[in-house]
Amino acid sequence: MLATIQDLRIDVRVTRRIRLRIVDTASLTIQKGQLLGLIGESGSGKTMLCRALVGTLNRRGAYIESGSIDFEGIDLVKAKKKDWRNIRGHKIGYIPQSALAGPNPVMRIGAQLAEAINQSGKKPSDEVRRRALELLELVQIRRPEVVLKQYPYELSGGMKQRVMIACAIAQNPKLIVADEPTTGLDVTVQAEIMELLRSIRKEFDTSIILVSHDLQLINSVCDDIVVMHAGATIEKVPSSKVTAALHPYTHALYDSRIDLVEPRGKLRTIKGQPPSVGKWPTGCRFADRCDFVKDVCRTTDPTPFAQVNENQWSACIRHKEIYGGAK
Amino acid sequence: MKLKLNTPLGRKIFGRTIRAFSISFWVMVIAFALMRVTPGDPASARLGAGAEEEAIEALREQLGLNVNPFQQFINYIRDLSQGDLGTSLVSGLPVGEIISKTFPLTLTYIAFSFFFAFLISIPIGVLIGWSNKASWVYSFRTFTSVVIATPNFFIAMVAILFFSVQRDWAPVFGYEPGFPGNMKYLWLPIAINTLILVSIISRVLLASVIDTRSEEFVETGIIRGVSRIRFFWFYILKPSLAPTIVLMSYMAGTMLGATVILETIFSLPGIGRELVGAVLASDYPVVQGILIFFGVITVFLSFFGDLFAYLLDRRVKL
Amino acid sequence: MIKRIRDYAALPGGFGIIVGVSMFLSITVIGFARPIFIPYAPDELVGDGLAAPSWQHPFGLDQLGRDMLSRVLAAVPADIGVAFLGVSIPLFIGTLIGILLAFAKNKVFLSLVGSIIDGINAFPLLIIAIAMVTFLGPGLFNVVIILALMNWARYARIARTRAQIVLRENYVEAARLMGYPRRKIIFKHVTPNVSSETLAYALSDFILVIVIISGLSFLGLGARPPAAEWGSMIADGRVFLGEAWWITVFPGLALCWSAISISLIVEGLSRRDRAS
Repeated sequence: MLATIQDLRIDVRVTRRIRLRIVDTASLTIQKGQLLGLIGESGSGKTMLCRALVGTLNRRGAYIESGSIDFEGIDLVKAKKKDWRNIRGHKIGYIPQSALAGPNPVMRIGAQLAEAINQSGKKPSDEVRRRALELLELVQIRRPEVVLKQYPYELSGGMKQRVMIACAIAQNPKLIVADEPTTGLDVTVQAEIMELLRSIRKEFDTSIILVSHDLQLINSVCDDIVVMHAGATIEKVPSSKVTAALHPYTHALYDSRIDLVEPRGKLRTIKGQPPSVGKWPTGCRFADRCDFVKDVCRTTDPTPFAQVNENQWSACIRHKEIYGGAK
Repeated sequence: MKLKLNTPLGRKIFGRTIRAFSISFWVMVIAFALMRVTPGDPASARLGAGAEEEAIEALREQLGLNVNPFQQFINYIRDLSQGDLGTSLVSGLPVGEIISKTFPLTLTYIAFSFFFAFLISIPIGVLIGWSNKASWVYSFRTFTSVVIATPNFFIAMVAILFFSVQRDWAPVFGYEPGFPGNMKYLWLPIAINTLILVSIISRVLLASVIDTRSEEFVETGIIRGVSRIRFFWFYILKPSLAPTIVLMSYMAGTMLGATVILETIFSLPGIGRELVGAVLASDYPVVQGILIFFGVITVFLSFFGDLFAYLLDRRVKL
Repeated sequence: MIKRIRDYAALPGGFGIIVGVSMFLSITVIGFARPIFIPYAPDELVGDGLAAPSWQHPFGLDQLGRDMLSRVLAAVPADIGVAFLGVSIPLFIGTLIGILLAFAKNKVFLSLVGSIIDGINAFPLLIIAIAMVTFLGPGLFNVVIILALMNWARYARIARTRAQIVLRENYVEAARLMGYPRRKIIFKHVTPNVSSETLAYALSDFILVIVIISGLSFLGLGARPPAAEWGSMIADGRVFLGEAWWITVFPGLALCWSAISISLIVEGLSRRDRAS
């Protein structure tokens, strides 16, 4: 097991007194070389979970209230600034959300890559340059010598994201956190980036956490899927078994895919809005939108995120009743 | 840096240069038009109601008003292109000479003010902006908005009251040229200008640091573990500086305007006091010359400001 | 009523807006209602020159023995009134020209007006106002003319840019394609959008214009004596700064009061904008 997140709760400071819980009991595990998809609607807390993994919650006034993140035996919740220096980049790489705003606009690509390669600042410059060229080739950028001297505004969105990937893998990290890496990119470019992530995983045996709100995308790329809803992880399921999911929310997400629409048919949507942060109901937070809701759903609190079979977890207390146990 | 015209950068800079020159041309046209379009005859206005017909006619000729407006314009542009801004009606000196004699003083204390203002504003703007503490940000913004809303001549009067009248720290007015001596007279105007500039610069910097702070690339910079100094420059200051510089170059004209009043208060023999004197004496060529000078200077300040900001941060529109 | 104000104050920036509006209203109302409760006329000699503030004359007397409180309040129409004209006329003309420019097709006309706008805006407003006094002569009425002639260009630039953006919006494009008359598009979509932007600028411009009016008067190029005007009063007090600070300080505070009230409103509005 490379990393284990256990019962994580994240709070954000709104004012001096008011605290808002944005992640409430998130648990997941990731194995070496695994490509894990993390899916959820906006506001479900997936981005905050990523930030917890790279230790930048603080910047947005958020902090880990309780729980643990075990990464190769180190508890990241208790990591000090000095510890993070050895973890970020070296052990955990990060690919930012927006390809367009990811690279620093006032630095040349070469300088940014050099920062990522040479964190200690002790490597000779020709070695740094050689590695930079190697990395750019690895992420399939043509004419890397030219790109090194360019500014981000001269690159296309896809190119920028390739550069960000190159930065993330510069130190051969064991885990890469990719927070919606294809937001704002064309579908074709999106597919290329996904293919690139897969090939990196294959070549270096890197674990990748891929965050998205697009189940279809995650389903086609990842080994396992973790679904988040209203701050909690509610289901973990292998992507091959997504049709046999054990939580009504996962099914609802799966059924609302656009490609299921028949000609002149109706697009299926999930009724209602996800409960907004800070206004989560007691009991199952999906209850208001669930087709199978019963009173017991609203009274059992907290709903346990329990292992159902070898590689499937669900937070639905009535999954047996609804889906007739694991298939 | 070698500038080639066939690169996108070169073309952009070339285009912006052309625009600066064309606006300068229009500045001259407007300065010309103002004197002719406004009602009343400059010559009779200058000489007063009781002037003789011949004297007025002579002055009209001296001002070049005796030919048709189109011919006047041709003459005007011809003179300007030769660097001839006309001759003062009061002192008989060429206007160009008057400007070159009075402007260095103005430039000196404006340059000092800008220097100190940047020195003070950068740490303030970055520290408060980076902390992004609502209480700090808003109390700072309130303080600066009070300073900005206060007319500089009132600030100057209060400063004189405290530093010159109640304590003898600064002379009430007067000037003596030459380096250490002139500072005795200049420090108070510089301090006042600096205070106003700090309020403006740090405010803009503060806002753009707050914007920068939430940018995605800052996150990646932190995760990359960039050293503190590099982080300060490449991830905080440099991405935030461009809007500040663009605004400064845009504000520079207003700053120049404000110095007119300061120079009058402190009796500093700079270009602003010269302008006010010329206005009071109806010295048309001097007024027109200084007006053109201010206009062209403002155009090129904003040109260089935009250019510098663009070289610093390519997101700037040139 | 009180509850509604309290609710408004609780919104982001609401407190600043309420303080600003009440500061502005108080000085304007008191200024215009001055004859009702101040027994002295602004140019009436009521005592010895340079008499210090007292219960009878809270702001003291000026060098000629005129009541400063009465003069400071009498200057409200001169400063705030002229500033109002000096902002609203350019606001109207500039917005109109800006919108028309966004619709204009004639290239020569466009580049000509565009260049004139750029050219006028190149001059610092105070500098060109000072220079214009040479040609038009001093006086508050001329200041209004100068502001009307020179300040519209800034509004026109803002309005043109904004109008061009609005015209490119999808809904306006759609309205055009559906063959809506041009007049309807202008009044329904363009004008409200553009004027909200120019109005916002007008508010902060108000501060600048007050400073320019009082600055010109301070230099002796604006209000003519014996008219009461804050800038010229401050200039009068300069000579007596040592023995009679009140001649300078009270008009200055009135000036700050008005400018700061507007800047609190601007600040509050921008804070509200950012919060939403």
